[in-house]
Amino acid sequence: MHPTENLAAHALGALEGPEGISVEAHVATCATCGSVVEQYRAVASALPMGLDPVAPPPEAWAAIRAKARQGRPPADGWAKAGVRPLWRRAMWPVLTTLVASLLVWNVVLQRELTRRAPGPAPGPEVEALSRRPGRLVILAGTGQPGASARLFAAVDGGGHLAISGLTPLPGERTYQLWFIRTGASTTVTGGTFRVNSRGLAWAKIIVPASLDEVRAIAVTEEPAQGSMAPTGTHLLEATAWR
Amino acid sequence: MQVGDESALEALYGRYGGLIFTLALRIVGDPELAREVLQDTFLRGWDGRDAYDSARGRVPGWLMGIARNRAIDLLRSRPHQARLREREPLGGLASEPVQPDATDFIMLRRAVVSALRGLPIAQRQAIELAYYGGHTQVEIARELGEPLGTIKSRTRQAMELLRAVLWPLIEPRREA
Repeated sequence: MHPTENLAAHALGALEGPEGISVEAHVATCATCGSVVEQYRAVASALPMGLDPVAPPPEAWAAIRAKARQGRPPADGWAKAGVRPLWRRAMWPVLTTLVASLLVWNVVLQRELTRRAPGPAPGPEVEALSRRPGRLVILAGTGQPGASARLFAAVDGGGHLAISGLTPLPGERTYQLWFIRTGASTTVTGGTFRVNSRGLAWAKIIVPASLDEVRAIAVTEEPAQGSMAPTGTHLLEATAWR
Repeated sequence: MQVGDESALEALYGRYGGLIFTLALRIVGDPELAREVLQDTFLRGWDGRDAYDSARGRVPGWLMGIARNRAIDLLRSRPHQARLREREPLGGLASEPVQPDATDFIMLRRAVVSALRGLPIAQRQAIELAYYGGHTQVEIARELGEPLGTIKSRTRQAMELLRAVLWPLIEPRREA
């Protein structure tokens, strides 16, 4: 059954919780509803033309040009951890252990996730996952026009990701989800996934114990076996969630 | 822009900078924050130009999506300013004409204005709270004191009306 009544709200990003996830999962596998949502989104993106135009301040362009020439860091504006020099020596053993642990965890996650077949999940499984307490994160297509994703992170560490609008990749490439943590240059993977010919996918993921220590969630394109750290542009990204 | 030509970025800014600033200002209600969104939108577009796929939509829609997401993120991360915005309608900034638009752009703008004016006020309100306010259907229902089902119906009806009028104008532009 098509969630006709909810498609417009879904296109506007105005659904949340289990209902939003259920609609997202349906749209990811239904060509008819996917087409309607795509049209709603295109129409919605034209709505600002109905506003009375206001000119931007003259200095805005100069600032944009200056920063474009400099080349921004990939994680634009994200604060880097400030570690004072006196602490660095004492921090090294701790950081080394931490990084080693994370690398091992990444490998375990990779193996676990690659065992799972990608593709749409059955409805009851989506609903069962969605009933668990958790948080919903919307990833915007910052590096991929028209792409978006909804990530559901259950409090016990499980979760799933519904993606639309990503370009299908050749066999030697894959998409990879990343959780970028606060206060250290540690990044952990949530898994790899591929999208179907329509740019849609649904994937089970493993989420860090707490999103409170995560400052950004991103999706990048990586080699088919996955990477230990992101090497590509952030195609999807979220830096704020409830 | 996809090949990193700065003049392309400047041309895009000249054409869409005003529209994106207008959108950002409508959402965040503060000129400084709107400028922040404007700058971030174009820089993100610049950074992500290699990944841009014209088959999946035109540049203005892409930039508008980035701007809206960034503006709503800002709005949500600054609850005090959001409350301020809700209490006080935007004032102090006079509408100024932006740079002249291309003909097709003007035609689409007129169609959007006309289509929005043709919506019943309640439907338009539901759309604006969702699109510009970043509110969920549940939040809109709570704010307006209406049943959730009523808000969903209004949203769907409004989007259907807009789609019927605007999609035929947008579709050939996407495929062009």
